[in-house]
Amino acid sequence: MDLTAATADETAPGTPPPLGEHLRSPRLRTAMLVQQEALQAARDYLRGEGFTELLPPLVGPVTDPGGRGAKALDVDYYGHPYKLMTSAILYKQASLRGFPRLFYIAPNVRVEPEETATTGRHLVEFHQIDVEIADASREDAQEIAAGLLTHVTEHVWTAVPELLTGLGREEADFADVRAGKYDVRTHEEAVARLLSLGHPQNPDGEIDWTGERILSLESDRPFFVDDYPKGSRGFYDREDPERPGVLRNFDLIAPHGYGELVSGSEREADYATLVTRMRESGENPAKYAWYLKEAREGIPSSAGFGMGLQRLVRFLTGLDALWQVSAYPKLPGVVAP
Amino acid sequence: MTTRPTAPAAPARPTAPALTAPGFPEEPVRARARLGTAAVFPDPAAYGSRLFGPTAAAAGDALDRMRIVPPVFMPERLEKLIDLAREPEFDDVDLTTRVGGFTARLPLYLSAFGSTRAGSGDLAVHASRQAARLGIPMVIGENMVPVHGYRRGGAGGGDATRSALLARVEAYLEAAPDGTGGIVVQQSTEDADSEVWNLLYSDPAFRPLLETGRLAFELKTGQGAKPGLGGMTVVDRAEAEQLARRFTVREVFGPDAPRSLRCATPGTFTEEILRQQLRFMRNNFPKARTWVKFHPGRDIGHAARTAWAAGADAVTVDGAEGGTGWAPGVFLDQVGLPLAEALRRIGTPTGCLLATGGVWEGGRAVRALALGAGAVGLGRAALVAVDEDPEHGLERLVGALALELRLLVSALGKYAPAALAPDDLWSPPPFPDPYAGPDPYAGPAPYAGPAPDPHRAPTHPRAPGPAPVHAPTSAPASVHAHAHAHAQTQAPAPVHAQAPTPAPDQAPPTASAGPSAPGPAPADGPGRSA
Repeated sequence: MDLTAATADETAPGTPPPLGEHLRSPRLRTAMLVQQEALQAARDYLRGEGFTELLPPLVGPVTDPGGRGAKALDVDYYGHPYKLMTSAILYKQASLRGFPRLFYIAPNVRVEPEETATTGRHLVEFHQIDVEIADASREDAQEIAAGLLTHVTEHVWTAVPELLTGLGREEADFADVRAGKYDVRTHEEAVARLLSLGHPQNPDGEIDWTGERILSLESDRPFFVDDYPKGSRGFYDREDPERPGVLRNFDLIAPHGYGELVSGSEREADYATLVTRMRESGENPAKYAWYLKEAREGIPSSAGFGMGLQRLVRFLTGLDALWQVSAYPKLPGVVAP
Repeated sequence: MTTRPTAPAAPARPTAPALTAPGFPEEPVRARARLGTAAVFPDPAAYGSRLFGPTAAAAGDALDRMRIVPPVFMPERLEKLIDLAREPEFDDVDLTTRVGGFTARLPLYLSAFGSTRAGSGDLAVHASRQAARLGIPMVIGENMVPVHGYRRGGAGGGDATRSALLARVEAYLEAAPDGTGGIVVQQSTEDADSEVWNLLYSDPAFRPLLETGRLAFELKTGQGAKPGLGGMTVVDRAEAEQLARRFTVREVFGPDAPRSLRCATPGTFTEEILRQQLRFMRNNFPKARTWVKFHPGRDIGHAARTAWAAGADAVTVDGAEGGTGWAPGVFLDQVGLPLAEALRRIGTPTGCLLATGGVWEGGRAVRALALGAGAVGLGRAALVAVDEDPEHGLERLVGALALELRLLVSALGKYAPAALAPDDLWSPPPFPDPYAGPDPYAGPAPYAGPAPDPHRAPTHPRAPGPAPVHAPTSAPASVHAHAHAHAQTQAPAPVHAQAPTPAPDQAPPTASAGPSAPGPAPADGPGRSA
């Protein structure tokens, strides 16, 4: 394969070429070869850690309500209004009694707001390596997330180093990841840092795309951001009983501007708290009947996370935009086949 | 437009009754005995063509009884004189106002009409277009999408299948001047299932609004017409079946009646739920303004302060006089704080306060503005105006209102609505002057339980003597807080087939005219007694 041509001929336009052309591009081929190595490494790592792989559901009466303005697609399911999965978080929790350590390679569909089309980090259709661990703490989940990223990176650099160097990646840039060196900061510290840099970060919300990029750019190693404020995430992220208003959750941010790879948390499993938290996020608990029935009967406490597969591959390959690492990219707001 | 509420048409009474019950609201009891739960509501046959509201017995509230009292000495007029280098005139009053993050040409906005038939047809589209021309914001009510759908149906997208919500938005956008006005969209619990805000926020049609900062989402916790209840509309059998999955549909009009009652839930709120929902809205829709609408709850002051502290761009309080909505009669007449008391309990707003409830002319608007509102909403008045003239009715109504505003504000020696203050008003006895004694407007104070109700007057002594049997009885005086001031008003006849015979404590029909006369009274037109 002529990797030189792959990088020289293709600059990084803002939008994909016609699909046929995209599918024939050497750069996509390289990205897919890296992706299959990453997938194999992820499965190897998780199964080695005692996880069972399940295949996730695609539609259901409810899905992850998410946030940040992304919406679920409607499906007419025998006359019932169903949703395509934006994430299978509710099913992960419900599966824990039978599968205390489980993961999916889950396809998700989120109709993202159009302003995310230019972040280079959003696709409407994407996949997550979706992990859930019964009776685990946030720190347990972070250990698995870090171990997963380290293992996948190590594997890809061992198995197909020529693909990465062909795309211009420097092995030295991955030294900290491969050595398992991760930093941790709190959301509050991240906000303070951004404000000190003059970036108007909302202290009550997610770190915005620009802020996340700023923090990612000034770091040489991946880092966790802990303790997002209540209201910035879904109802299932557990509120810290010691610190009301603070969630026991985290993101894992890749260095060098690649941004968020992972979101995760300890989960709320208490029925009454779940109902109240649903109301706090404007949700109608009646929609979640099946899930709340499970919660009433007892869902194990857990922690888990989702690692964006395309984001992982983009980080490994160093490509500019997420559509370049998806065979069938759908950018927010762009009607594509 | 016929405006008098009536009870549902009654089946004929089988036999002449043997009993009488003087001094007792016998006729309403008999109506309920015949009609059951249907008697709780106005006549469903009038649904879609009648705007509901408090009956004459409850109209003319404490806000209306306050007088606007210009001072003799006017230092602010001197300031204006210095500014203009000539004597100020009423035309020098600048009515431009910030309304919930928008710029409005007048301290007015178009209130939510919602999914009721009267509020979602052509009239609402006409009202939208005229509100846009006037440069005032427009609120679109809850339950539009679950009831009427969102996208146009069919490839052609003909008028017949056009979504009620989008038709209003398009009419507004076509006519809105640059930089003024804005569109506010409510979302109920049932709307949340349809993800209405998400639909709009991601719809390219709304991009011009977002980019000019003229889209807001309003979290609705209740409404003046039925505090504590969710939305209600009357639906026929086909609609009922279609909506049954999303809403509760009840056969309150009888098992064989052609119509049913569609009920939405009011939603559960606590201080923390409100705070978190507002935060969630701001996080998820950062380019949209955040409004909150409250029913006139007894803890309205606490609720409003909570909303402002959580970052709400506007808090709307709907007085019990408000609402175009279908509601049980007992709610229309007897539930919720009147607007004046709601405003008193809020005190000095710490954010943008909006008030609705029976506003249609400048006097009531000025009084609400003086009591802290930044702008007032037009609901029933706007619908009636466009019903009178679909092309320009609302514009003319508002033109008159705006002239009155300029006249009144300048008479008070002021030249902007924001300069109005509580001391521009005087309350006649027996309603205590709210500005005597400890100043309730001194500043935001923590909610300390319900204030003593200054409107609860001594019970009007009923005239002695038995009420004639079968007369359309006025409700017992004790249930009407304002009965002393409305000795001549009359509760609606529960059965309109009955001949109006005055009760003993009412003036004979010939002795009074207009709203206070027994018989057909414009009880729920723009809600102010003449």
